[in-house]
Amino acid sequence: MTDTLHLWVIPLLPLAGAAINGLFGRRFNNAVVSAVALLSTAASFAYALWAITQALHMGLPYNRSVATWITAGSFSAPFGFYLDQLSIVMVLVVTGVGFLIHVYSVGYMAHEGGFYRFFAYLNLFMFFMLTLVLANNYLLMFVGWEGVGLASYLLIGFFFLKDSAADAGKKAFIVNRIGDFAFLIGMFLLIKHFGTLNFDGVFKAVSGMPVEAGWGLLTIIALCLMVGATGKSAQVPLYVWLPDAMEGPTPVSALIHAATMVTAGIYMIARSNAIFSRSPHALEVVAIIGCITAIFAATMGMAQTDIKRVLAYSTVSQLGYMFLACGVAAYSAGIFHLMTHAFFKALLFLGAGSVIHALGGEQDMRRMGGLWKKIPWTHAVMLTATLAIAGIPPFAGFFSKDEILGQVFSSPHGSKVLWVIGVITAGLTSFYMFRLYFMTFHGELRLGKVDIGEEAHATTAPAHAGHGAAAHSHGHGDDPAHGHGGVHESPWVMLGPLVVLAIGSIVAGWVGIPAFMHGSNNFGQFLAPVIKSGAPTSPTAMEHVSEAAGQPREEQPENPGEEWALASTSVVVALIGLLIAWYLYKKRPELPARITARMHGIYLTVLHKYYIDEGYGLLFVKPLLALSTVVFWRGVDQGIIDGLVNGAGSASKGIGGELRRMQSGNIRSYAAWVALGGAAVIAYMIWMGVGK
Amino acid sequence: MNPIHTVDYIRILPELVLTAFGIAVMLIDPLLKPGASRKGLGLLSLAGTLAAIAATFCQIAWLARDASFRDPGWFGMVRVDNFAIFFHILIPAISAVCILASLEYLETQGLNSGEYYGLILFGTVGMTLMSSAVELVLIFIALEISSISTYILAGYRRRTASSTESSIKYFLLGSFATAFFLYGVALMFGATGTTTILDIPAALAQQVQSTGHLSVLAFMATALMIVGLGFKVAAAPFHIWTPDVYEGAPAPIVALMSTGPKAAAFAVLLRVLFATTSTDWFWLIWISAALSMTIGNMGALIQGNVKRLLAYSSIAHAGYLLVAFAAGNDIGISAAVFYTAAYACMNVGAFAVISHFGSTGERYVTMDDYAGLGKRSPLLAFTLTIFLLSLIGIPATAGFLAKYYVFTAALSASAAAHTTALIWLTIIGVVNSAVASYYYLRLIVVMYMREPTVAEAPAPASASMRLALVIAAIATIWLGVVPGRVLNHASLAALDLQPKTRAAKVLVPSPSPEATQASAPATPVK
Amino acid sequence: MNASILSLVTFIPAAGAVLLMLMPRNDRALRWAALIISLVAFGFSIYLPIHIQYHAGFQFQLDTSWIKVGAVDIHYHLGADGISMWLTILTAFLVPLGVLVSWKSIHDRVKEFFVLLLILESAMIGVFLALDMFLFYVFWEATLIPMALIIGMYGHERRVYAAVKFFLYTMVASVFMLAAIIWLWVHARTFDYETLRNWVNLSSMHGTVSAAALQWLFLGFFIAFAVKVPLFPLHTWLPDAHVEAPTAGSVLLAGVLLKMGTYGLLRFNVGMFPVQARHNAAWINTLAIIGIIYGALVALVQPNLKKLIAYSSVSHLGFVVLGIFTFTQAGTDGAVYQMLNHGVSTGALFMLAGMLYERKHTYEFKEYGGLATPMPVYATFFLIAVLSSVGLPLMNGFVGEFLVLSGAFQDKAIYGILGASGVIWGACYLLWMYQKVFYGQITREANRKLPDLDGREQISLWPVAVMAIIMGVVSPYWMKSISPAVAAVHSAQNATTASQVSTASPAMQAGGQK
Repeated sequence: MTDTLHLWVIPLLPLAGAAINGLFGRRFNNAVVSAVALLSTAASFAYALWAITQALHMGLPYNRSVATWITAGSFSAPFGFYLDQLSIVMVLVVTGVGFLIHVYSVGYMAHEGGFYRFFAYLNLFMFFMLTLVLANNYLLMFVGWEGVGLASYLLIGFFFLKDSAADAGKKAFIVNRIGDFAFLIGMFLLIKHFGTLNFDGVFKAVSGMPVEAGWGLLTIIALCLMVGATGKSAQVPLYVWLPDAMEGPTPVSALIHAATMVTAGIYMIARSNAIFSRSPHALEVVAIIGCITAIFAATMGMAQTDIKRVLAYSTVSQLGYMFLACGVAAYSAGIFHLMTHAFFKALLFLGAGSVIHALGGEQDMRRMGGLWKKIPWTHAVMLTATLAIAGIPPFAGFFSKDEILGQVFSSPHGSKVLWVIGVITAGLTSFYMFRLYFMTFHGELRLGKVDIGEEAHATTAPAHAGHGAAAHSHGHGDDPAHGHGGVHESPWVMLGPLVVLAIGSIVAGWVGIPAFMHGSNNFGQFLAPVIKSGAPTSPTAMEHVSEAAGQPREEQPENPGEEWALASTSVVVALIGLLIAWYLYKKRPELPARITARMHGIYLTVLHKYYIDEGYGLLFVKPLLALSTVVFWRGVDQGIIDGLVNGAGSASKGIGGELRRMQSGNIRSYAAWVALGGAAVIAYMIWMGVGK
Repeated sequence: MNPIHTVDYIRILPELVLTAFGIAVMLIDPLLKPGASRKGLGLLSLAGTLAAIAATFCQIAWLARDASFRDPGWFGMVRVDNFAIFFHILIPAISAVCILASLEYLETQGLNSGEYYGLILFGTVGMTLMSSAVELVLIFIALEISSISTYILAGYRRRTASSTESSIKYFLLGSFATAFFLYGVALMFGATGTTTILDIPAALAQQVQSTGHLSVLAFMATALMIVGLGFKVAAAPFHIWTPDVYEGAPAPIVALMSTGPKAAAFAVLLRVLFATTSTDWFWLIWISAALSMTIGNMGALIQGNVKRLLAYSSIAHAGYLLVAFAAGNDIGISAAVFYTAAYACMNVGAFAVISHFGSTGERYVTMDDYAGLGKRSPLLAFTLTIFLLSLIGIPATAGFLAKYYVFTAALSASAAAHTTALIWLTIIGVVNSAVASYYYLRLIVVMYMREPTVAEAPAPASASMRLALVIAAIATIWLGVVPGRVLNHASLAALDLQPKTRAAKVLVPSPSPEATQASAPATPVK
Repeated sequence: MNASILSLVTFIPAAGAVLLMLMPRNDRALRWAALIISLVAFGFSIYLPIHIQYHAGFQFQLDTSWIKVGAVDIHYHLGADGISMWLTILTAFLVPLGVLVSWKSIHDRVKEFFVLLLILESAMIGVFLALDMFLFYVFWEATLIPMALIIGMYGHERRVYAAVKFFLYTMVASVFMLAAIIWLWVHARTFDYETLRNWVNLSSMHGTVSAAALQWLFLGFFIAFAVKVPLFPLHTWLPDAHVEAPTAGSVLLAGVLLKMGTYGLLRFNVGMFPVQARHNAAWINTLAIIGIIYGALVALVQPNLKKLIAYSSVSHLGFVVLGIFTFTQAGTDGAVYQMLNHGVSTGALFMLAGMLYERKHTYEFKEYGGLATPMPVYATFFLIAVLSSVGLPLMNGFVGEFLVLSGAFQDKAIYGILGASGVIWGACYLLWMYQKVFYGQITREANRKLPDLDGREQISLWPVAVMAIIMGVVSPYWMKSISPAVAAVHSAQNATTASQVSTASPAMQAGGQK
């Protein structure tokens, strides 16, 4: 066993894959391309596992800088990597789930153009994501942070022939940039006050500082970082890019916009727990934002008819939960949900992909139905995932969500209000998920039968610039091999990963079975060191944070009854949601139409996502463009500045004209001029002379 | 009546040589059958100018041998010092190049007349004499000699009315102005009882001592002389004649009269002004400089005729020169002297190109005719570009260094005298030179960036013309890149000009060496 | 070698230009000759970073009297420190690429073009290396004519207007610098940069030169440089010049000429007038920030590819100026680095734009769209250029921007915050541009069969693409020579602002070693 780990290998392997495919992929056939892509990912997964075992022997955290990246004056930022319990979880999720999705993509993208491009991008994403979670300083983290943004931009816009896809990619990148802007400011503050961006350096410095009562430095830093997180993790008000991001191929949605990238924000907050835990205000804000996002997105999810968009909103909502968890200083709970969510949400997306694949590109649930016997495997795994996300025990989602809600209820940072909202959201979640489930797999297949009203366009607008052909190539290029003909189960290369993920969606939660269920929240225990190290030293702060670390046994008077109560409430609520969905979409499928008809206004509002995008457009985009065009470009640039310049020019030419008029050519006038001049000169000199 | 020593003949040797050649040309001309080419005469007069230069070198030799050569001689009417010698070389050189240019010009214009060359030579006599004469009356005579020949030459394009007109205008206004000068001389005599420049300062100083003030006459005299010379150098407000005359006169002649007589007149102006610094003409020159620069450049902005454009530019350049006068210190004088040389190089060159490109009857003189010259004859365009860049004042050309030197003079004078007037004059100057770049650039732009409007490609330049252009171009670059020698001569000339009595009552004290030292606080440790 | 290397690098192109003049009008031969000459110059420039000593101030110095008349003593004095060295190399690096991109696009008056290009190169390098004010001014003005001619002779429709505008803007501004230089000579009797710098500091400390005078001098230099940069609101010549200039012209204009302005600001305004620089920093930084945001916003609404890139330059150069006038190590290091980055990335963008123009003879966005399908390779290179320009981490742009902004933030938080908003705008207009050109369905049928990049074009693009990434990953290699130079520039100011009379400030000592 060595004493140095070459952690840099983990991200670099996928980068190599990306480089190879990017540079030469065009000459390879699909087999070679996928081989390169899969091997590089698998290798990095394997090496990660090995490295982690080594690191566990050596003792965590393992922190090593490879080289200097940026240096100026006293400040310097290294290429340095950091492995502790938190990054271990992230690395495993990223490489593990990432690998599965690579495998799935081989099948899913088989018939797409730009196969090599897709895998190059995918590997590139892996590189940046691993850099993000392994970095030992904020700046390198920011590299991954922006990098995944880029990868997501490229992959969302993978079907760049569609304006909607291109728009979505651009939107994602720019909205993320708004978050990054705040992240940058946060880093500048760190540099200014701590002189470094290295985690150990910063956190050591911070650990000396007390919990801030008011709006101090740490609060501001924390808020800056949080804004960054809201961008990346699609929280209110910067969530708008994620639904549109569904323009990307489905595996991308699964990997980037469900399992990994969007969770970077949560990771970052958990990573910075030392800072956040010292700023109650910041935590408050985080919790509230998370809570609002959770319920807000859930409501929007209820009305969507595009299968992927439902999942998108549910992702936003679930991320809200994670935010909420961090907001009540229950970081490990947040990470726990992050992990379980990675499984079942990836599964949901891939399953949805499989459905779309089966229907030759159809994404509108109103055209689906009764698929459960046609594509049994897909149906099975989808059901598992749905149960998981709905929070039905013993599926994974139950434990993590329960953990969060429990913390929200009991943690000093939490509040009953937030808990109530959280529970309601749980209900909504299970409702719209089962709505999706029933609409897709039960009833009879309505493919091509239903003609879709103008709302349909609205639901997917602005995504659908050009409808028709484009619509069917959602996440699935137009490709003759899948006409609207026979509905068929996906190949094993796709189903394999689904099954693995399905198992994950069941068992993943068991690592965190809480105490009152006679489990011993291993997950929380595992992460405890990371959280502890950052915990404020003041006794009051001590307890709730260690509680966040999830050992109610030691610190808290044991109160299983309450916890049972909480748990069962959320389960009950979930079941209610399930029943309503069953009643509306299985038992009485005609009802929803009537209901929507009765409360048309509300329905449309929800359907149009509360007109948020339109609002942003009206508030920011249009005025800005107008300002730039009318005032700045035409007005200041061409009007004032050039006006002045040219004005000066023509003025002097005018003078020239006057002088020309003086040049009458008439000799008498010339003589007069000379005489005049002479007279003036003489007069002046005489005056001088007399003056003396 | 004391006898005339050989040395005195040496003192006017260039003039003598030129006169001899001039007479020779005049005598041979009638012998040649009319209508025959006068190229031979041209070459002869070219030899004359070269001989004059040789003569000057002989003067240099004498000067090196004994310092007494510097003393005024020839009845105290001429003083051959470094100052004079500088112009004795410069002016014949200008004439030589102009003659080279003329050789081709007369051919293309179908003018076959010997007196053309003769007149050039006589004019040159006048100019050289102007630079060395220290006796006001002699100066006046020299002035007239040079003027009259240029009057005639200006009208040499007999076939074109504009030429005759320009000649007339030049003549009438010219004599009008020289009359001013003559009055000046007379009044100066009245005021000081002498017409010898070298005695004037002493006389004035003495007058101040005795009466406690200068008689108004002295002031009027200075004023009148300034007017006369101001006309010759085409400084505002006496510039008015320039555009018409330049437009009408033959291009090679414009090349000559925009440089030679100007140089000479500036030389005289220097002698006169610095002999009479006690009469405060500072603001006069200041205003005239500012006016000349501004009027010249503004006027040039909209000219469509290249000759007129360069006429205005010459007004502007007179303005820059006057800035040096206003500075009125050693650097100022040497700057002025150097400027005349630099301006001569680029302007003669420019007009040489124009005269060649104008072709028969000077048809092609408007901007549009120059369109696409860069395509039609790249070499010609390139040479003209060099001259234009130098006129703009782009570094590594004579024009830049000259301007630069002038402004340096002005600023150091202001530093020494702690007056901001010259700083402002400098600002006006630099801004003007920036504005000026526009119209020179316009010509370059037209040559290189516009499509040709005139079909026919300009005739290939004759050998003589090529020689003329090459000389001018090389000189322009030379003065811009390695001007050391010439600058040295210029500053030597400046030193010789200083009458020791100066610095007495000077409103703008020019920093004598120790003053310049004082004006540089904390001279840095190298 | 050490003494002559700079002269070689400076004058090889000029000598080459003379050679070209003498060559017969065989376009092919001329192209190759120009390429080889510029490559040779580049080769020599590589000598510098290999042999430079990091903390030795100006090096490779050559100092001989040029024009000496009385008190006037003009020197031919070249020297390089970390800053000027890299800018020199940038120039020598971009010119061969400029030759390559002009290979086909220039077919008329080829000889003149390459002669001008090489003369321009000499002049630009001279500007960075001159340590004698007079010499500096000579080179400074010497860049003007070739550039104006390149724009005016080989540009597009409104080329004459653009050329004249460019010429006048810069000419008018630089005469003020001339006045300032003369004034300095008159009082200090020297043109030597180090000596003058010393002199200015001493006399401002002893009050032998009034603060007012120094302020005027500062402004005299500032106006000349601000126009070149160009700093808002003096920028309006830039869009016209860029749109009309031929590709190589734009590349060098954006890549190098603009840097002459920022270089001047750093070397002379900050280096020689530290106190005034401090006093004026507030409004200068304000202008810089306005430039950043304003430039970006205007770029956002341009209908024309080249105009957009031009305005993006206004925005990017705003970062540089901001960095310079924060007087922080990080900020100024970043600024210098950003000068190089901008040269690489914007140079690349203009090259790419030019290649498009060669195919379609328009820069209007409405003529394009969906080009990613017919021209995938081109699209990839363009993407790299865009990303480095947008400041993506691990690309060169990020390092510079980050350092500049963190420096600005240390100076005044608000500078950092406002400046950082540039990262958003940058993403907006650049991605917008990329989408307009490459994404979506092909809008013009003619574009369906646009040829992708040929070998020559790819060869000309690879270097910039690679540099963009290398400079983003191993910035310390550059910094180790840039930082000391920057520190030296600041040293005088620290000495002065700390108002401790120290003629032996590091810079001076450094200057002493020759």
